[in-house]
Amino acid sequence: MEVVSRAQVYVVIPAYNEGTVLSRVVTEVKRAGYAVVVVDDGSTDATADHAHAAGAAMIRHPFNLGQGAALQTGIDYALTQPAQFVVTFDADGQHRVSDIPRLIDALIRERADFALGSRFLGQAPNLPPLRRLVLQAATLFTRLTTGLQVTDTHNGLRAMTRRGAAALALRQNRMAHASECLSQIGSSGLRYVEQPVTIEYTAYSLAKGQNLRDAVLILLDLFARRLYR
Amino acid sequence: MIAQLILSALLAAILLYAWTEYRRSPAVAFLTVAIATSGLYFVWMPEHSTQLAELVGIGRGVDLILYVWVCISLVVLLNLHLKLRTQTELITMLARKIAITDAQSRNT
Repeated sequence: MEVVSRAQVYVVIPAYNEGTVLSRVVTEVKRAGYAVVVVDDGSTDATADHAHAAGAAMIRHPFNLGQGAALQTGIDYALTQPAQFVVTFDADGQHRVSDIPRLIDALIRERADFALGSRFLGQAPNLPPLRRLVLQAATLFTRLTTGLQVTDTHNGLRAMTRRGAAALALRQNRMAHASECLSQIGSSGLRYVEQPVTIEYTAYSLAKGQNLRDAVLILLDLFARRLYR
Repeated sequence: MIAQLILSALLAAILLYAWTEYRRSPAVAFLTVAIATSGLYFVWMPEHSTQLAELVGIGRGVDLILYVWVCISLVVLLNLHLKLRTQTELITMLARKIAITDAQSRNT
């Protein structure tokens, strides 16, 4: 089904102090033939060196802005390149490279502009029960506020066409960008599909991931965002 | 009398500030003028604040002023927070532009 060159698929990886794991992630994505863009979000460790050595195109924020800001930077950069598809991918090693072609196939097969990875349609081994509960509450909140019938709202693994990428303008710098992204997809009127993916939780990714306090901050960010233009 | 003069001078300064803010945000300027004018009125007519407080069921005029002041402070804090977020967005756009320009020259 896949008819595009993998070099035209740009995999955007936002990274903040991910030096230890990032090399392996970039190497695996590069080995699969995709173009890799790492956005170093003001890391204080050797993240940039690791990513550069592994062969990624590097973008460096002069200081830490947040994952949402890094994603938008990577998407903007990909749009200056001959990217036909843009994939967002986490730096902590919890996403599988083998899911990327499935997402791209879904975009082509369904003639959609966004293919959203869903761990709840796929698999999420080692997902702690409390985190499952928080994620499902976030999904319910997003369904109610955006009207999108999605099953997994805070999954960083998603693919989009060039047109879809151009429709996004994330202004939530921090973690609330995932909800904002879905909100913008909904208001863009462009077609989206969900695709089962596997999220592999490790001690490292669990330590870097979101907790209950982050969920409260996300709600506050989303509320504050509605108060101004 | 001394306190009344000092408070009047402070409220007059706030009126001046409202005048300078008018071009940026007429709504904020009008609100500030209304608050400062009411303040000036109650500084010189304190017994009227008690009458107003009794009318709305609070009791003492000083309590009414205090409650209103707390509410105004919270609105001012929220306004400052929103201004800060707007500034952060501008900084983000600037940092992004610099980062992408750097990357384009480095990666080509």
